[in-house]
Amino acid sequence: MANDRLRALEDVEKEIALVLQSAGTIVLELSKEKANASLLDRQLNQFQTSINRVESELSAQIRYLTQVATGQPHEGSTYSARKDCQMALNRAEYARVKLGELGHTCEMMLDPQT
Amino acid sequence: MATQRVLPQSKETLLQNYNKRLKDDIRSILDNFTEIIKTAKVEDETQVSRATQAEQDHYEMHVRAANIVRAGESLMKLVSDLKQFLILNDFPSVNEAISLRNQQLRTLQEECDKKLISLRDEIAIDLYELEEEYYSSSCGQWDGVELPLCEAFHRQDIWGSPETTSDPSCANPEDTDHLGTQESIQCNLNSHGSSTSEQS
Repeated sequence: MANDRLRALEDVEKEIALVLQSAGTIVLELSKEKANASLLDRQLNQFQTSINRVESELSAQIRYLTQVATGQPHEGSTYSARKDCQMALNRAEYARVKLGELGHTCEMMLDPQT
Repeated sequence: MATQRVLPQSKETLLQNYNKRLKDDIRSILDNFTEIIKTAKVEDETQVSRATQAEQDHYEMHVRAANIVRAGESLMKLVSDLKQFLILNDFPSVNEAISLRNQQLRTLQEECDKKLISLRDEIAIDLYELEEEYYSSSCGQWDGVELPLCEAFHRQDIWGSPETTSDPSCANPEDTDHLGTQESIQCNLNSHGSSTSEQS
Protein backbone atom coordinates (compact mmCIF):
# COMPACT_ATOMS: atom_id res chain seq x y z
CA MET A 1 0.00 0.00 0.00
CA ALA A 2 2.76 2.44 0.89
CA ASN A 3 4.77 1.44 -2.14
CA ASP A 4 1.77 2.02 -4.42
CA ARG A 5 1.37 5.61 -3.24
CA LEU A 6 5.08 6.34 -3.48
CA ARG A 7 5.15 4.78 -6.93
CA ALA A 8 2.19 6.96 -7.94
CA LEU A 9 4.11 10.04 -6.79
CA GLU A 10 7.12 8.97 -8.85
CA ASP A 11 4.84 8.66 -11.88
CA VAL A 12 3.62 12.20 -11.14
CA GLU A 13 7.22 13.40 -11.28
CA LYS A 14 7.59 11.84 -14.72
CA GLU A 15 4.33 13.49 -15.81
CA ILE A 16 5.65 16.91 -14.70
CA ALA A 17 8.75 16.37 -16.83
CA LEU A 18 6.47 15.35 -19.70
CA VAL A 19 4.48 18.61 -19.28
CA LEU A 20 7.60 20.73 -19.62
CA GLN A 21 8.90 18.64 -22.49
CA SER A 22 5.68 18.87 -24.50
CA ALA A 23 5.44 22.65 -23.84
CA GLY A 24 8.98 23.05 -25.15
CA THR A 25 8.25 20.91 -28.22
CA ILE A 26 5.16 23.01 -29.04
CA VAL A 27 7.08 26.29 -28.81
CA LEU A 28 9.93 24.83 -30.87
CA GLU A 29 7.54 23.64 -33.54
CA LEU A 30 5.81 27.05 -33.65
CA SER A 31 9.17 28.72 -34.17
CA LYS A 32 9.63 26.89 -37.51
CA GLU A 33 8.48 28.43 -40.75
CA LYS A 34 6.31 25.47 -41.59
CA ALA A 35 4.87 23.98 -38.42
CA ASN A 36 3.62 20.42 -38.47
CA ALA A 37 -0.03 20.68 -37.44
CA SER A 38 -0.49 17.04 -36.47
CA LEU A 39 2.59 17.14 -34.27
CA LEU A 40 1.30 20.32 -32.64
CA ASP A 41 -2.07 18.68 -31.95
CA ARG A 42 -0.47 15.59 -30.49
CA GLN A 43 1.86 17.56 -28.28
CA LEU A 44 -0.94 19.84 -27.13
CA ASN A 45 -3.11 16.86 -26.20
CA GLN A 46 -0.16 15.38 -24.35
CA PHE A 47 0.37 18.66 -22.50
CA GLN A 48 -3.25 18.96 -21.42
CA THR A 49 -3.54 15.29 -20.44
CA SER A 50 -0.36 15.37 -18.40
CA ILE A 51 -1.17 18.56 -16.56
CA ASN A 52 -4.69 17.33 -15.70
CA ARG A 53 -3.26 14.05 -14.48
CA VAL A 54 -0.69 15.83 -12.31
CA GLU A 55 -3.33 18.05 -10.74
CA SER A 56 -5.81 15.23 -10.07
CA GLU A 57 -3.23 12.83 -8.67
CA LEU A 58 -1.65 15.38 -6.33
CA SER A 59 -5.08 16.57 -5.15
CA ALA A 60 -6.05 12.95 -4.40
CA GLN A 61 -2.85 12.39 -2.42
CA ILE A 62 -3.39 15.57 -0.39
CA ARG A 63 -7.02 14.58 0.27
CA TYR A 64 -5.91 11.13 1.47
CA LEU A 65 -3.28 12.66 3.74
CA THR A 66 -5.88 15.02 5.20
CA GLN A 67 -7.92 11.95 6.17
CA VAL A 68 -5.17 9.76 7.65
CA ALA A 69 -2.70 12.22 9.20
CA THR A 70 -2.96 12.40 12.99
CA GLY A 71 -0.10 14.70 13.88
CA GLN A 72 1.33 12.13 16.29
CA PRO A 73 4.60 10.28 15.73
CA HIS A 74 4.35 6.61 14.88
CA GLU A 75 5.74 4.43 17.66
CA GLY A 76 5.66 1.03 15.96
CA SER A 77 8.80 -1.01 15.70
CA THR A 78 10.05 -4.34 14.37
CA TYR A 79 12.81 -4.51 16.97
CA SER A 80 11.47 -7.47 18.99
CA ALA A 81 10.92 -9.67 15.93
CA ARG A 82 14.33 -8.70 14.58
CA LYS A 83 15.96 -9.57 17.90
CA ASP A 84 14.22 -12.96 18.09
CA CYS A 85 15.24 -13.76 14.53
CA GLN A 86 18.82 -12.71 15.23
CA MET A 87 18.94 -14.98 18.30
CA ALA A 88 17.58 -17.89 16.23
CA LEU A 89 20.29 -17.32 13.63
CA ASN A 90 22.88 -17.17 16.43
CA ARG A 91 21.58 -20.51 17.76
CA ALA A 92 21.90 -22.07 14.32
CA GLU A 93 25.40 -20.66 13.90
CA TYR A 94 26.43 -21.98 17.33
CA ALA A 95 25.07 -25.45 16.48
CA ARG A 96 26.97 -25.35 13.19
CA VAL A 97 30.23 -24.44 14.95
CA LYS A 98 29.80 -27.16 17.54
CA LEU A 99 29.01 -29.78 14.90
CA GLY A 100 32.07 -28.64 12.99
CA GLU A 101 34.23 -29.16 16.06
CA LEU A 102 32.69 -32.59 16.66
CA GLY A 103 33.34 -33.58 13.08
CA HIS A 104 36.91 -32.37 13.31
CA THR A 105 37.48 -34.37 16.50
CA CYS A 106 36.03 -37.51 14.93
CA GLU A 107 38.32 -37.09 11.92
CA MET A 108 41.32 -36.68 14.20
CA MET A 109 40.41 -39.83 16.10
CA LEU A 110 39.95 -41.82 12.93
CA ASP A 111 43.19 -40.62 11.37
CA PRO A 112 45.67 -39.39 14.00
CA GLN A 113 48.43 -39.07 11.37
CA THR A 114 46.92 -35.86 9.92
CA MET B 1 -17.83 6.83 7.70
CA ALA B 2 -17.00 10.43 6.93
CA THR B 3 -15.98 11.98 10.19
CA GLN B 4 -14.30 15.33 10.25
CA ARG B 5 -10.86 14.80 11.71
CA VAL B 6 -9.52 17.48 14.00
CA LEU B 7 -5.90 17.77 12.95
CA PRO B 8 -3.29 19.70 14.84
CA GLN B 9 -3.02 23.20 13.52
CA SER B 10 0.43 22.66 12.07
CA LYS B 11 -0.59 19.59 10.06
CA GLU B 12 -3.75 21.24 8.75
CA THR B 13 -1.84 24.37 7.84
CA LEU B 14 0.78 22.26 6.11
CA LEU B 15 -1.77 20.40 4.00
CA GLN B 16 -3.54 23.65 3.09
CA ASN B 17 -0.19 25.03 2.07
CA TYR B 18 0.37 22.00 -0.15
CA ASN B 19 -3.00 22.57 -1.82
CA LYS B 20 -2.24 26.23 -2.41
CA ARG B 21 1.18 25.47 -3.88
CA LEU B 22 -0.34 22.90 -6.21
CA LYS B 23 -3.02 25.28 -7.47
CA ASP B 24 -0.59 28.18 -7.88
CA ASP B 25 1.97 26.14 -9.80
CA ILE B 26 -0.57 24.58 -12.15
CA ARG B 27 -2.12 28.00 -12.74
CA SER B 28 1.31 29.50 -13.40
CA ILE B 29 2.22 26.84 -15.96
CA LEU B 30 -1.09 27.18 -17.82
CA ASP B 31 -1.17 30.99 -17.82
CA ASN B 32 2.44 31.44 -18.88
CA PHE B 33 2.14 28.84 -21.63
CA THR B 34 -1.06 30.44 -22.92
CA GLU B 35 0.61 33.84 -22.96
CA ILE B 36 3.61 32.49 -24.85
CA ILE B 37 1.30 31.06 -27.51
CA LYS B 38 -0.56 34.37 -27.75
CA THR B 39 2.68 36.30 -28.01
CA ALA B 40 3.89 34.00 -30.79
CA LYS B 41 1.17 35.36 -33.06
CA VAL B 42 2.64 37.89 -35.52
CA GLU B 43 0.57 41.07 -35.68
CA ASP B 44 0.54 43.35 -38.65
CA GLU B 45 -0.10 46.56 -36.73
CA THR B 46 2.12 47.38 -33.79
CA GLN B 47 2.43 50.49 -31.66
CA VAL B 48 6.21 50.46 -31.85
CA SER B 49 8.51 49.37 -34.62
CA ARG B 50 8.70 45.71 -35.54
CA ALA B 51 12.20 45.33 -34.21
CA THR B 52 11.23 46.79 -30.84
CA GLN B 53 8.10 44.68 -30.69
CA ALA B 54 10.10 41.58 -31.59
CA GLU B 55 12.63 42.38 -28.89
CA GLN B 56 9.89 42.90 -26.34
CA ASP B 57 8.16 39.65 -27.33
CA HIS B 58 11.45 37.80 -27.13
CA TYR B 59 12.10 39.09 -23.60
CA GLU B 60 8.53 38.34 -22.50
CA MET B 61 8.71 34.77 -23.82
CA HIS B 62 12.03 34.33 -22.08
CA VAL B 63 10.55 35.41 -18.76
CA ARG B 64 7.40 33.33 -19.18
CA ALA B 65 9.44 30.25 -20.11
CA ALA B 66 11.52 30.78 -16.96
CA ASN B 67 8.27 31.05 -14.98
CA ILE B 68 7.07 27.75 -16.42
CA VAL B 69 10.33 26.06 -15.47
CA ARG B 70 10.21 27.57 -11.98
CA ALA B 71 6.63 26.31 -11.52
CA GLY B 72 7.69 22.86 -12.72
CA GLU B 73 10.54 22.77 -10.19
CA SER B 74 8.18 23.96 -7.47
CA LEU B 75 5.85 21.08 -8.33
CA MET B 76 8.77 18.62 -8.06
CA LYS B 77 9.57 20.04 -4.61
CA LEU B 78 5.91 19.64 -3.67
CA VAL B 79 5.99 15.98 -4.74
CA SER B 80 9.12 15.46 -2.64
CA ASP B 81 7.42 17.04 0.40
CA LEU B 82 4.35 14.88 -0.13
CA LYS B 83 6.52 11.75 -0.28
CA GLN B 84 8.15 12.70 3.00
CA PHE B 85 4.82 13.49 4.62
CA LEU B 86 3.41 10.20 3.37
CA ILE B 87 6.28 8.15 4.78
CA LEU B 88 6.02 9.81 8.19
CA ASN B 89 2.27 10.18 8.60
CA ASP B 90 0.53 7.52 6.56
CA PHE B 91 -0.16 5.23 9.51
CA PRO B 92 -2.16 2.53 7.70
CA SER B 93 0.72 1.81 5.32
CA VAL B 94 3.35 2.09 8.08
CA ASN B 95 1.37 -0.39 10.19
CA GLU B 96 1.05 -2.74 7.26
CA ALA B 97 4.79 -2.52 6.50
CA ILE B 98 5.64 -3.22 10.15
CA SER B 99 3.30 -6.23 10.40
CA LEU B 100 4.61 -7.63 7.12
CA ARG B 101 8.20 -7.32 8.28
CA ASN B 102 7.35 -8.88 11.66
CA GLN B 103 5.66 -11.78 9.90
CA GLN B 104 8.68 -12.36 7.65
CA LEU B 105 11.08 -12.31 10.60
CA ARG B 106 8.90 -14.64 12.67
CA THR B 107 8.61 -17.08 9.76
CA LEU B 108 12.37 -17.12 9.41
CA GLN B 109 12.82 -17.65 13.14
CA GLU B 110 10.31 -20.52 13.24
CA GLU B 111 11.94 -22.19 10.25
CA CYS B 112 15.34 -21.89 11.89
CA ASP B 113 14.11 -23.34 15.18
CA LYS B 114 12.23 -26.14 13.41
CA LYS B 115 15.41 -27.20 11.61
CA LEU B 116 17.41 -27.04 14.85
CA ILE B 117 14.84 -29.22 16.62
CA SER B 118 14.89 -31.82 13.83
CA LEU B 119 18.68 -31.74 13.92
CA ARG B 120 18.60 -32.27 17.69
CA ASP B 121 16.25 -35.24 17.30
CA GLU B 122 18.48 -36.85 14.65
CA ILE B 123 21.60 -36.37 16.76
CA ALA B 124 19.81 -37.78 19.83
CA ILE B 125 19.03 -40.96 17.89
CA ASP B 126 22.66 -41.31 16.81
CA LEU B 127 23.91 -40.53 20.31
CA TYR B 128 21.68 -43.22 21.80
CA GLU B 129 23.15 -45.80 19.42
CA LEU B 130 26.69 -44.60 20.13
CA GLU B 131 26.15 -44.83 23.86
CA GLU B 132 24.73 -48.34 23.53
CA GLU B 133 27.80 -49.37 21.60
CA TYR B 134 30.19 -47.56 23.91
CA TYR B 135 28.88 -48.83 27.22
CA SER B 136 28.70 -52.39 26.00
CA SER B 137 32.32 -52.35 24.85
CA SER B 138 35.57 -52.41 26.79
CA CYS B 139 36.34 -48.76 25.91
CA GLY B 140 33.85 -47.64 28.52
CA GLN B 141 36.15 -48.75 31.34
CA TRP B 142 39.01 -46.72 32.85
CA ASP B 143 40.94 -48.14 35.75
CA GLY B 144 37.99 -50.41 36.50
CA VAL B 145 35.52 -47.49 36.68
CA GLU B 146 32.82 -47.00 34.11
CA LEU B 147 33.87 -43.89 32.22
CA PRO B 148 31.00 -41.74 30.84
CA LEU B 149 31.03 -41.06 27.11
CA CYS B 150 31.22 -37.30 27.63
CA GLU B 151 34.17 -37.67 29.98
CA ALA B 152 35.95 -39.95 27.49
CA PHE B 153 35.32 -37.41 24.75
CA HIS B 154 36.62 -34.64 26.96
CA ARG B 155 39.78 -36.58 27.81
CA GLN B 156 40.31 -37.48 24.16
CA ASP B 157 40.03 -33.77 23.36
CA ILE B 158 42.65 -32.90 26.01
CA TRP B 159 45.06 -35.59 24.77
CA GLY B 160 44.60 -34.32 21.24
CA SER B 161 45.78 -30.75 22.06
CA PRO B 162 49.59 -30.33 22.36
CA GLU B 163 49.39 -27.46 24.90
CA THR B 164 47.83 -29.71 27.55
CA THR B 165 50.25 -30.62 30.35
CA SER B 166 47.84 -32.65 32.46
CA ASP B 167 48.65 -36.33 32.68
CA PRO B 168 45.62 -38.56 33.16
CA SER B 169 47.67 -40.97 35.22
CA CYS B 170 48.47 -38.17 37.71
CA ALA B 171 44.83 -37.30 38.20
CA ASN B 172 43.43 -37.85 41.66
CA PRO B 173 41.42 -41.08 41.45
CA GLU B 174 38.92 -39.85 44.09
CA ASP B 175 38.20 -36.69 42.13
CA THR B 176 38.00 -38.71 38.95
CA ASP B 177 35.57 -41.16 40.57
CA HIS B 178 33.43 -38.34 41.96
CA LEU B 179 33.52 -36.44 38.72
CA GLY B 180 33.00 -39.64 36.74
CA THR B 181 29.97 -40.60 38.83
CA GLN B 182 28.39 -37.14 38.70
CA GLU B 183 28.97 -36.72 34.99
CA SER B 184 27.94 -40.31 34.35
CA ILE B 185 24.57 -39.64 36.00
CA GLN B 186 24.19 -36.33 34.13
CA CYS B 187 25.20 -37.76 30.74
CA ASN B 188 22.96 -40.80 31.14
CA LEU B 189 20.05 -38.58 32.14
CA ASN B 190 20.64 -36.24 29.19
CA SER B 191 21.08 -38.92 26.55
CA HIS B 192 18.36 -41.32 27.62
CA GLY B 193 16.03 -38.46 28.54
CA SER B 194 16.26 -36.99 25.04
CA SER B 195 15.95 -40.37 23.36
CA THR B 196 12.94 -41.20 25.57
CA SER B 197 11.26 -37.97 24.52
CA GLU B 198 12.09 -38.77 20.89
CA GLN B 199 10.66 -42.29 21.19
CA SER B 200 7.51 -41.01 22.85
